[in-house]
Amino acid sequence: MNTELNRESLLKAYRMMRTIREFEERVHTDFATGEIPGFVHLYAGEEASATGVCMHLSGNDYIASTHRGHGHCIAKGVDPAGMMAEIWGKETGTCKGKGGSMHIADLSKGMLGANGIVGGGGPLICGTALAAKLRGDKTVGVCFFGDGASNQGTILEAMNLATVWNLPAIFVAENNGYAETTSPNYSVACENIADRAAAFGMPGVIVDGFDFFAVYEAAGEAVKRAREGGGPTLIEVKVSRYYGHFEGDQQKYRAEGEVQKLRNEKDCLMQFRRHVTADGDISAAELDAIDAEVLAMIDDSVVRAKADPKPGPEELLTDVYVSY
Amino acid sequence: MARKITYQQAINEALDQEMSRDPSVIVMGEDNAGGEGSPGEMDAWGGVLGVTKGLYHKHPGRVLDTPISESAFIGAAIGAACNGLRPVAELMFVDFMGVCFDQIFNQAAKFRYMFGGKAETPVVIRTMYGAGFRAAAQHSQCLYSLFTHVPGLKVVVPSNPYDAKGLLIESIRDNDPVIFFENKVLYTMEGEVPEEIYTVPFGEAAILREGDDVTIVALGRMVNMAQEAAEALQKDGIHCEIIDPRTTSPLDEETILESVEKTGRLVVVDEANPRCSMASDIAGLVVRKAFGALKAPIEQVTAPHVPPPFSDVLEDLYVPNAAKIERAVTRVAEYR
Amino acid sequence: MNCLLPTDFDRHDDVIVGVIANPASGRDIRRLTAKASVFTAAEKANMVQRLLGPFGALGVDRVMIMPDSSGIAATVERSAQINRSRGESVWPLIEQVKMKSTGGVEDSQNAARIMRDAGARAIVVLGGDGTHRVIAKVVPELPMATLSTGTNNVFPDWREATVTGIATALHVTGRIDPSITLRRNKQLRVNLGEYTDIALVDVCVTRLTHVGARAVWDPDTIAELFVAFAEPDAIGLSSIAAMINPLTRDEPRGLCLRCGTEGRRVLAAIAPGVLETVVIDHCEIMQPGVRYAIRTERGSIALDGEREIEFHRGQVPRVTLELNGPPTLDVSSTLAAAARLGVMATPCAREMLR
Repeated sequence: MNTELNRESLLKAYRMMRTIREFEERVHTDFATGEIPGFVHLYAGEEASATGVCMHLSGNDYIASTHRGHGHCIAKGVDPAGMMAEIWGKETGTCKGKGGSMHIADLSKGMLGANGIVGGGGPLICGTALAAKLRGDKTVGVCFFGDGASNQGTILEAMNLATVWNLPAIFVAENNGYAETTSPNYSVACENIADRAAAFGMPGVIVDGFDFFAVYEAAGEAVKRAREGGGPTLIEVKVSRYYGHFEGDQQKYRAEGEVQKLRNEKDCLMQFRRHVTADGDISAAELDAIDAEVLAMIDDSVVRAKADPKPGPEELLTDVYVSY
Repeated sequence: MARKITYQQAINEALDQEMSRDPSVIVMGEDNAGGEGSPGEMDAWGGVLGVTKGLYHKHPGRVLDTPISESAFIGAAIGAACNGLRPVAELMFVDFMGVCFDQIFNQAAKFRYMFGGKAETPVVIRTMYGAGFRAAAQHSQCLYSLFTHVPGLKVVVPSNPYDAKGLLIESIRDNDPVIFFENKVLYTMEGEVPEEIYTVPFGEAAILREGDDVTIVALGRMVNMAQEAAEALQKDGIHCEIIDPRTTSPLDEETILESVEKTGRLVVVDEANPRCSMASDIAGLVVRKAFGALKAPIEQVTAPHVPPPFSDVLEDLYVPNAAKIERAVTRVAEYR
Repeated sequence: MNCLLPTDFDRHDDVIVGVIANPASGRDIRRLTAKASVFTAAEKANMVQRLLGPFGALGVDRVMIMPDSSGIAATVERSAQINRSRGESVWPLIEQVKMKSTGGVEDSQNAARIMRDAGARAIVVLGGDGTHRVIAKVVPELPMATLSTGTNNVFPDWREATVTGIATALHVTGRIDPSITLRRNKQLRVNLGEYTDIALVDVCVTRLTHVGARAVWDPDTIAELFVAFAEPDAIGLSSIAAMINPLTRDEPRGLCLRCGTEGRRVLAAIAPGVLETVVIDHCEIMQPGVRYAIRTERGSIALDGEREIEFHRGQVPRVTLELNGPPTLDVSSTLAAAARLGVMATPCAREMLR
């Protein structure tokens, strides 16, 4: 396994995380103006998870995501401009404005969809992994799900099936500490979600979700194992989210100053920057340049999303069936 | 004049009053209080839109937050109902029935029949439905017809604050499983609601407006749109009779049939998709039982046969509105 | 059973023992990269309960246990209540330490400090090398009875908890002399500028520039290895050194190995189920008190198998062998002495063979 990331990979990882962060911060700001319709769930704070995992994936690998799916989409290569337009409900959106934030998908990129149903992705990823196994193409499927979904029957059934069929599947439990308002200390009956892996005969490991390198290493081993026919793995990523369950959530269930403390002390981008610049291989100026490029790209995507047309009325009735 | 409160407050009040009256009533669901196990406040949400807010502190130990495990907690509510409690479980969005439908339609709905009349399952499942929040395909559907199809379930679709309170109290006191549909757009609707406890019986439609020309049967949020349309049509000299069935199971067939016998013309307004829907069910009923009275083909005003779209322009096209109802009524009225 | 034993041991104060069962041990990436064992919270709770019978029978008055969110302490407390209500308890009084749990390593450390300050005469630690290391760091002079929870450890005993419970009780009640019950361990100290930390078994310098997923499982990443002791039948990094030059826990020296591309090839079990070849091009005995400079330009340092410290160009971490590491309970010699001295048998029972 390539645990030593080269310069190019490090810069790619940084750009990916920065893009997710900038995208989410921007949606947060714009949502507050009341212009963005619907429910939006932001991934800010969790960037190292999607990035650490998806850096090991190619376009032919599949991922299934959650209602908090923007980060997974970006990390899997979905065009941020298309996503922005989708969130704004425009015809230029990834799903022509028909899906919205909770249902962004791009199958051409192996992104099987954000999902409005908690735990919806587990069985689906068993399916993509089954197809990969039957074809023998060495691709894998990754199911991202949250601590809330870890209690859904669908996820538990999917982990069982993945072992029974020895599928090239990786289950990534992003434990951000809150299922809506409810803590896993209350809702998850064991100490760690990873503990459940043993019951399904697969390895279960825990990594620090603020540390890109920790996620990257664990995911690398799991993906390698899956590609080689070694079967499924459960990775529990311990992390937190910077915003509410949805935009508009007052978050009274959180501790005073909790998010600020995380931003100051644990932030994945901050840690990553400190790490890669310490030896001078990558300069702060290079990272600043990426920040500026990403910012410009996101700015541009918002400008375009705002200006783009909404779907025409004829779109209401199309795309229900292939033929009918 | 009686006190005015919102649809949402009416539901909260019904729960509160029934919990105070009957210690066997409990409330459970995802974040019905909110904050369990978390470092901040308890009752942080009171349900995702605040409908159950305040009950947690008022009725200690009887508002239970659940893991996100609909199969487990909806099933547990049903089991508790079999063992002496009257649980009111919240299935946050009806779209989530997909992960727990077995517990509802194979378990709760069939116990009484399968067990030879020996079981009682006094459970209420409150659930949000309907488009209008730009919540897209998995949080916006109108699925009451799926539940209406299942024998053993009662299905309630209140259209205003008064009915919401009275029907919810009736649901809690009813000894059968009841699926109680709350339209999320109606939560802020204000209406006159008595402070005292009262019930609205199942299977009794409300005639909200009397008229001789066209009968409009509408459900939930569509009732208000039908009234708006009827008001406009009145100016054109078309007098509509508006019937709100209030419960789809049992369905007050008599009131609908009597009205059609009088008007001979029917428009059914349903926010759900058109096939195998309440709209088609009511149209079928009238064709079977009042065929001789019909002077025009029946019109259905429904969402098209597509999932709810996200983009606001598409969602606004998707949901029936007063203008569409007016056009349908006019076509029916002018049919010769 | 306890009728055999006189109660004439030191009873100035309550006899207190601390118990720390780390709920987090055994969930790192080695579950994935090696077939490392998974130790459930339920089994940890069972082990704690198996300590309590001997404690009660042999005169321990109070047991302080670390609170945790996985239910280990809660399970033990519940069992103690059931025991008491049935009137059959010979267990000591169980109390959970009053502290705020964070779920991190600092929980074990806070609990250990509180136990020491409350007068605990020993702590039983259930965990891996890492758990023992972090506790030794904060309460260096408090005797530890060690119990391994998992297959991946070198420092703690892999032993039935009941037996450890007997030996611990014999020690804390003063029935066997500390010169027999306790063993003084070596430790390795790492200094990096102002920063200092310890390892109980090995210090491994890796070429990985980040602590990442913490474990070390790829032999190609190992640059240098310092060991306090090296047992040929051990698992993990120290077994590499043992295959070149075994070192017992008692002899006053350590070993320093540097890896290369040419040199002596060693096949060793660097993780459970993983036999890998490591190429060693330099090996020297470490003398106590001497500071050995790390030669790798940049990388990370694993303490007892887990990467903890990152260091960069221009920084030179140093490793020192110290002989005054933490005292641990020697269960074998304690029980051998108990047999020799007749602590656990009446005189007539011991006469039988004569």
